[in-house]
Amino acid sequence: MSPERRLASALVALAAVLVAVAGLALFVGSAGLSPVAVARALAGRADAESVESVVTLGLRLPRILVAAVAGGALAVAGVAFQGLTRNPLAEPSVLGISSGAAFGVVLAQIVGLGISPLEALGVTAFAFGGALLAAAAVYLVARVPGGLSIQTLLLAGVIVGIFFGSAITVLISIVDFNRLGGVVHWLLGNLAPLPPASLALFAVLAGVGVLVVLRHARELNLLALGEESAVQLGVDAERLKRRIFLGAALLTGAVVAFAGPIGFVGLIVPHALRGRLGQDHRLLVPTAALAGGVFLLAADTVARNVVAPAELSVGVITAFCGAPFFVYLLRTRYRPTL
Amino acid sequence: MRRTVAALLALPAVLAAGPVLGATVRDMLGREVAVPAAPARIVSLVPSVTEVIFALGGQARLAGVTDFCDYPPAARAVPSVGGMVNPSLETIVALEPDLVVATSEGNREETLQQLRRLGVPVYVVRVQRVTETLDLIRRVGELVDRREAVAPLAAALERRIAAVREAVRPYPTPRVLYVLWPDPLIVPGGQSIITELITLAGGRSITAEHGEAYPRFSLEVAVARAPEVILLADHAGSGSAAGRASPEKWRTLTSVPAIKAGRLHSVDPTLLHRYGPRLADGLESLARMIHPEAFR
Repeated sequence: MSPERRLASALVALAAVLVAVAGLALFVGSAGLSPVAVARALAGRADAESVESVVTLGLRLPRILVAAVAGGALAVAGVAFQGLTRNPLAEPSVLGISSGAAFGVVLAQIVGLGISPLEALGVTAFAFGGALLAAAAVYLVARVPGGLSIQTLLLAGVIVGIFFGSAITVLISIVDFNRLGGVVHWLLGNLAPLPPASLALFAVLAGVGVLVVLRHARELNLLALGEESAVQLGVDAERLKRRIFLGAALLTGAVVAFAGPIGFVGLIVPHALRGRLGQDHRLLVPTAALAGGVFLLAADTVARNVVAPAELSVGVITAFCGAPFFVYLLRTRYRPTL
Repeated sequence: MRRTVAALLALPAVLAAGPVLGATVRDMLGREVAVPAAPARIVSLVPSVTEVIFALGGQARLAGVTDFCDYPPAARAVPSVGGMVNPSLETIVALEPDLVVATSEGNREETLQQLRRLGVPVYVVRVQRVTETLDLIRRVGELVDRREAVAPLAAALERRIAAVREAVRPYPTPRVLYVLWPDPLIVPGGQSIITELITLAGGRSITAEHGEAYPRFSLEVAVARAPEVILLADHAGSGSAAGRASPEKWRTLTSVPAIKAGRLHSVDPTLLHRYGPRLADGLESLARMIHPEAFR
């Protein structure tokens, strides 16, 4: 099958799965609505003030959309960081870049930025700045002559993550100790429904990030051969790395600003796709955008139902899947390279 | 499909319109809240408020509470919406509340914003003083339309508080260390109602000069200030082993006057950390520990 046909069939299949999972997610929840009631709300036949309308259209649907966008963005950020560092274990949370973005968000909130769409843009700018700062720090710490080694990069990510985590605690302890409990909860990664304007803004920012990475998918394939080979094949490696770096930081920053730091999506999803589709970034980037949404949506549906009426943080679920997966990758596939 | 889109577009406007308005009142943060004339389905996200609603006889209007609302025992029978930090928005909405009562100390601001976005009026309480407890009882009395029950309850509280003050007045004020949480050491600061209760019970909190409500504190400083009475909040009832008062640890600090004199007591945090009708019970037990001689 030609690459185009493979991509098209993969995208169609994933879109179908995404719609199916979203459909399922619409019908389950702690409010215990009957399927008929949900269907009535979806069809616009229920009174707009009724419980089924508010729960289905005001809570579940926007949260499902947030999960789909955030999951897609995180998965593409994972593909981007993996391609950029040529390190299969790179990912926003593992590299500490989510922590940098979270630091930016906490800083923005202390400065006084709220949740209106315009302010949310400001919060995203802070998160983007934090993500860039953390990514630059990781790069500078891990850089050795001849490139980045896998172990050093991971260690640098851990260190940078711990540093920004502590910086958040220091900031909150000094400024507003009473909020510490809430911030700790937020740092676990939670999805909440967003108002339509904020949701649209989030989708646009994530879309820009995905397009930046997608436009350089072919060059990322060449970069995988090694920087020298890529340059010989006509790739402007420095420019490519800068763009991917910015795109992945934007994706991470937007997710952390609108949904919070959620880990391991960028690790699990790209690897699951590589097993089926191979290493071609032209296939990986668009499929990751859909598959990430499927994964995070499924995880969030579990998170909001498993201990109802209380809710688990979705970040807990993704980490619960992601940490063992990371160990598995480390012990099996990438053993020889360590 | 078109109807769905229309419904979605109309949603924010409809949600913002909210229930039939009774009056706009100010909550304890001074924010304006559109409270329906007689809220009939109230969700309380605050254990203290749940206690006050029951004490005023307004429980018929209570539609939902949190997992932490454990008093009076009948509160357990009210549907739960989850914890204080992570309640389920969906469960709250499904209860069709016309008012949610929340606190700025224990609930998350994000939760409250989401509820407001959905058109549910949110009334926020904040109590850091005993007089504010009386204010809270009055406010809740109005919300649940049980104004006639306010005066007797408030008067009984005031009478018992005055009786304790009277009983401890002749005696000197010992230095008191109150341990809210043992590890890390968290104590009541100047903004905390516990500090005021210690003063009313005839003691002097050695951590009162801290501006914050609940600062983390240095054990060294606590020991250096030579407390004459140490009170340990025993969170064992909440099922948390980490919060169990462990007097053994403190007994090793033999240089401290309170340890020498054997004045190390466990206290029930649900009496002292909640600002409800049981505040007087908490104050009386506190006074008996600080001034046993006054209650012989």
